[in-house]
Amino acid sequence: MNKAISTRLTFAVAILSLLIFIILWQVIAQQGLLVKNFPGSFKTIGSLIWWVSDPFFDNGPNDLGIGTNLLISLRRVLIGYSLAVLVAIPLGVLMGMSKLAQSSLNPYVQLLKPVSPLAWLPVGLFVFRNSEITGIFVIFITSIWPTLINTAFGVASINPDYLRVSKSLGASKSTTIRRVILPAIMPNILAGMRISMGTAWLVIVAAEMLLGTGIGYFIWNEWNNLSLENIFVAIIIIGFTGFILDQFFGFLQDKFDYSI
Amino acid sequence: MNKKSSKISTSNENYSHLELFNLGKIFFKEKKFIDFRSKGNRSGFEAIKDINLKIEKNTFVSIIGPSGCGKSTLLNLIAGLQAPTSGKIVIDGQAIKGPGPDRGVIFQNYALMPWLTTIQNIEFALNTVFPAKTKADVKERARKYLRMVGLEKASNKFPKELSGGMKQRVAIARALSINPNMLLMDEPFGALDALTRSYLQDELLSIWRKNKVTVVLITHSIEEALLLSDKIVLMSSGPSAIISEEISVDLERPRDREKIEQDPTYLKIKMRLEKHLLRETRAVEEVT
Repeated sequence: MNKAISTRLTFAVAILSLLIFIILWQVIAQQGLLVKNFPGSFKTIGSLIWWVSDPFFDNGPNDLGIGTNLLISLRRVLIGYSLAVLVAIPLGVLMGMSKLAQSSLNPYVQLLKPVSPLAWLPVGLFVFRNSEITGIFVIFITSIWPTLINTAFGVASINPDYLRVSKSLGASKSTTIRRVILPAIMPNILAGMRISMGTAWLVIVAAEMLLGTGIGYFIWNEWNNLSLENIFVAIIIIGFTGFILDQFFGFLQDKFDYSI
Repeated sequence: MNKKSSKISTSNENYSHLELFNLGKIFFKEKKFIDFRSKGNRSGFEAIKDINLKIEKNTFVSIIGPSGCGKSTLLNLIAGLQAPTSGKIVIDGQAIKGPGPDRGVIFQNYALMPWLTTIQNIEFALNTVFPAKTKADVKERARKYLRMVGLEKASNKFPKELSGGMKQRVAIARALSINPNMLLMDEPFGALDALTRSYLQDELLSIWRKNKVTVVLITHSIEEALLLSDKIVLMSSGPSAIISEEISVDLERPRDREKIEQDPTYLKIKMRLEKHLLRETRAVEEVT
């Protein structure tokens, strides 16, 4: 099949399925087939348009525009995530290169990795006595493991030929790390960073329900208002933002794809 | 680590460039962090033992032997990438303590960095070995060596855009760019198809004629060893491989691929090598 036609066809199918979904949703809601007062798609779309047309108003912490809340969440994620990456990459390189670092740090990594980062929320509140820093702290804990583990794995499984070339040229350890190991493990680092970002974006919504402000708190607030259509608006916006973030990393991964 | 052996200026061109004394290498099992069972039991795999060899300056020496006989181990020891368990390696009268830019190494899998372009791969070597050189100097020198292997036009290509033969030519350019006295090659043409291999063998000979260095080539191809070398070192089958024979190849240079195949000396050595390799290979296959 012609490529242009196939692309157009894929697009048409996507639009069609969306239309069917919207109509089905509306019919089911209108007929009260699920539960009474379940918001229909028309009402939700109306809400979405309303929120998106004026996203940045500020009438106090319980009445913020959805864009304002989104930016608050993104800011927390980006700060916590960046700090985590700054710690995870050097630590991962260290763990990948040194048996001693590996065996002394790995038990903690294995023990802490499976814990829901939300468990750290009370610890953060107790230590920092500040919900903003606690949010950032929770995102930091969330983001650190995938990047750390992927970086360490990348270093440990690096093609030994690269290291032999570097060694045979008499390169110093720092040259080898900067010019050989780091570029060689870029695909691993980016894969880890992509998972970290995905998880951070999942966790921030839950964390903010307990912390106040942000897109997660918006959902909690609209639940208190019993406004389900606004919650759907938030879900759509969170999903879309997460998709954009993930695509960004997908783009970076393509840039650093060395596969021969 | 990075010990440069001082060059002894001598009028005698035929002094030993590389000498191996009683060289042996045993690979011990990696010690586990906590390992009770193998307490005190340091048994390992002896790859090579009692290797004594002298290689004269600017000669081309091939090391040939059945697979798994420790040829690559021997090359890694000479390159300084691994430390010998016993014996010593002397280059220009000085025992080596590790790898150094006086030896250029070429690996079977080219070992080009895939995130660097062709020219950047060479520049990486140059920047590492000559940190004092200016950017322009490095670039000029990298270009010169790419020109030497006929790949100037591919300088901004990435390794994945090159054929296997082109990649190995870049690796040769990289190894020679740092101006080594010795070129160590570990089955450099083993992964190439027959035609590309012949082309690169001729290329290597013509480069070697212009840039005289001592070459140590690991190969399992008898024809390759005969075409290229002044001396062929035969290794026995492993483990605990030893040098079983050294054969001088007294064929006139420059050698022509078709002509030397008719030469009686060539045929005589070839038969001897085949017999040896067959015997050693049989020893490997029938033991295991």
